[in-house]
Amino acid sequence: MGREWLTGYLFILPAVVVIAMFGLFPIVYAVYMSLYSWRVRQGAYLGLENYARTLGHAGGAIAFFGGLLLVLVAHWVWTDAFAGGRSELRRYAQAAGATLLLASGVSVALGWQLMTRSGDRAFLQGLVRTVYYGFGSVPIQIALALVLASLLFQRIRGRGFFRVLYFVPYIVPSVASAAVFRAIFSPRPEFLANTVLSWFHIPPQRWLFEARPVTEVLFGGPLRHLGISHVTGFWAGPSLALVTIILFGIWTFTGYNAVIFLAGLGSIPRDLYEAAAIDGASRVQSFRHITVPLLSPVTFYLTVLGFIGTFQAFTHIYVMREPAVRDAVNTASIVIFDTFYKRNNWSLAAAQSVVLFAVILILTLYQSRFFGRSVFRG
Amino acid sequence: MASVPTGGARAARVRAGAAARAERAGGEPFEFRLSQLPVYFLLLVGALVSFTPFLYMASTSLMTLGETINRRLLPAHPQWVNYQRAWTEADFALYFRNSVVISAVVILGVLVTCTLAGYAFARIRFPGREIIFMVLLATLMIPSTVTFIPNFLMIRGDVIPWSSWINKLPALTVPFLSTAFIIFLFRQFFQGIPDELWDAARIDGAGHLRFLTAVVVPMSRPVMTTAALLTFVHTWNEFLWPLLVTTTPTWRPLGVGLYTFITEAGPQTHYLMAGAMITILPVMVVYFFTQRQFTEGIATSGLKG
Repeated sequence: MGREWLTGYLFILPAVVVIAMFGLFPIVYAVYMSLYSWRVRQGAYLGLENYARTLGHAGGAIAFFGGLLLVLVAHWVWTDAFAGGRSELRRYAQAAGATLLLASGVSVALGWQLMTRSGDRAFLQGLVRTVYYGFGSVPIQIALALVLASLLFQRIRGRGFFRVLYFVPYIVPSVASAAVFRAIFSPRPEFLANTVLSWFHIPPQRWLFEARPVTEVLFGGPLRHLGISHVTGFWAGPSLALVTIILFGIWTFTGYNAVIFLAGLGSIPRDLYEAAAIDGASRVQSFRHITVPLLSPVTFYLTVLGFIGTFQAFTHIYVMREPAVRDAVNTASIVIFDTFYKRNNWSLAAAQSVVLFAVILILTLYQSRFFGRSVFRG
Repeated sequence: MASVPTGGARAARVRAGAAARAERAGGEPFEFRLSQLPVYFLLLVGALVSFTPFLYMASTSLMTLGETINRRLLPAHPQWVNYQRAWTEADFALYFRNSVVISAVVILGVLVTCTLAGYAFARIRFPGREIIFMVLLATLMIPSTVTFIPNFLMIRGDVIPWSSWINKLPALTVPFLSTAFIIFLFRQFFQGIPDELWDAARIDGAGHLRFLTAVVVPMSRPVMTTAALLTFVHTWNEFLWPLLVTTTPTWRPLGVGLYTFITEAGPQTHYLMAGAMITILPVMVVYFFTQRQFTEGIATSGLKG
C-alpha cells in the first residue's frame, strides 16, 4: 500500500510543483507584498495602508463589498430560506429578500460614494470603466449570439461552415486582431471605419483617439442647443475610444457565446415545441415562452463569465490604447499593470490586484449561487 | 457542455463516432426553402462581420504604402515583398521561431506532467487525493492580473535566489508547464478506462508507469490531441507575461514582437498587417484543420483571459 501511495505522489509531483509555484503561491505572495512598501525592492511594513490608498474610506469599502455580498443573502432568503414552509411564510421571506436586495443596492451606492472621495482615483475610475465595458459589451454580445444560435439551429445548409467562421475571432491571438482593429478604426478618413461612415455622409471620427464621452460626440451639438454644455460623471458614458474597444469585445465573444448557446439549444426537448405548435403557438411565441426561459441558465452563465472576462481583459485594450486619450480606456487590469510597470509601485499594484480578485470572486459566487436555476422562475 | 468524455473511454469513443456520423448525415435531409432566405441573409451578415477584419488584414498586407492610404479595397498587384520584409527586416522570422520553440516546449511539458497527474488522480489511491485535486482546480479561478506580479519576482530570483530568468527560455515556458484544466481533462478520460485492463496488466507484472505508457497513452490519442491543441493556442496567444519577461528580441514571441512593431513602425499599415497575418495564420490553419476537437475543447475551457 505504501508503494502505491508513493507512486501517486511521485506522479502528481511535477504538476503540483509547477502549479503551486506559479498558480497558488502568487496569491499568498500578492497579499504579503501588498502589506509592504515595495518599489522594485521590498521596503518598510505598511500594514493596510496600500488598501486604504486604493479604497479610500474603510467604512465605504465595507459597505460596498458587504452590499455586493448581501445580494447573495437576499437571493437565498427569497428562494431557499423557507422553501419547505407554508405559503404565507414564503411570501414574507420574499418580501424580506426584496428588502435586502434594496438595502444591498443602497449600501453599494453609498459605499462607492465614500470610496471615491479619497480612494485611488485611477483605480476606482478603472473599475467604473470596466463596468461600462461590461455593460456595453456583454448584453449586446449575448443578444447577438442568441439570435445567431437560434438561426443556426434551424434546418439549414452549411451550419458547420457558419459555426467555424463565427468562432474564428475568439481563437486568434488578440494582439494581432487588435492590431487589425487599430488599422480599421484609424482616425484618418481613408481607413475602413471612416470610409463606411462616409457612405452615410457621416463625418470621419477619431475613434481610438477620441477621449470625449460618446454622449458628447453623438449629441454634443443638440445638447448645447438645450443649454446643457457638459454631461459629466457616470452618465456621460464611456469615451468613443472605449466604445471602439467595446466593439472589439463584442466582435470577439459573440461567436463563442453562440457556440455555447447552440449546445444549450440542443438540450431543449423537441416535443416541447411540437406541443406548443399543436396548441397553436407561433414561432415567436415559442421562442419567447420556451427557448428564452429554458436557455436562461446558459444566458446567466454567459453573462457572469462575460463580466469576469471584462474584469480580466487586458491584451486588446493594452494594444488599442493610444497615448492621445490618456486614461480614457484604462480599465481595472490596465491600471494595475500601469501601477506596476509605469509607476513602479509594486505593492500598490499588488493591493489593487487583490481588490480586483475580490470583485471577481464575488462574481464567481454569484455564478455558483444562481447557475443551474432558472433566472425567470427566480 | 458535456463534451468532455465522461463515461468509459470506449463508450466515449463510440459516442464521439456517433455524434460525428449524425453531424455528417445531418439527421434529417436538408432542403432549401425560399422562406429561409432571411435566415441565410442574417447568417451571412454575421459571417461577413466576423470575417471582414481578416479579409481587410489579408488585403492590406499585400498593398503598397500608397494603396493603404487611398481607400483601396484590393491591391492592384499583390506585394508579397511586404511579407519578406516583415520576415527579415522586422525580425518576424526570429519571433516566429521563438513562438514555435516556446509552444513546443510547453505542449510537451503539459502533456507529460498532466498525463502523470491526471492518471494519478484518476486511478491511484493516496491520502489527500481529492483535496489536492480541488486545490489545483481552484487555481483556474485566479486571474493572471493577480499572479503576474509575484511570478515576475519569482522568475527574477527575488523569492528563491536563483539567477534571473528574464529574457531566457525558462521564463516563458516553466510557469506554463502544467495546468489544472488539462489535468481535469485527462482525469475524466482516464477514469473511464476499464479496470479489467489494469488487472490484466498487473498479472503480467506491469506497474503503473508501464501500464500508463504501454496501454493508457496509446488509447488516449483523442484527448491528448485536444490537450495539445488547446495548449498550443493558449501559448501562442499569450501576451501579458511574455511582454513582461522579454526586454530583448532573443526569446520574444510573435505577439510581443508584433506589439513592439506597432509601437515602433508608425503608420506603415501594410507591413503591420503582414506581421499580424504571420501571427494569426498558424492558429487559424490549425483551427480550420482540427476545428471539431477545438470548438468542443475550448467551449468547455473558456480559454480567453
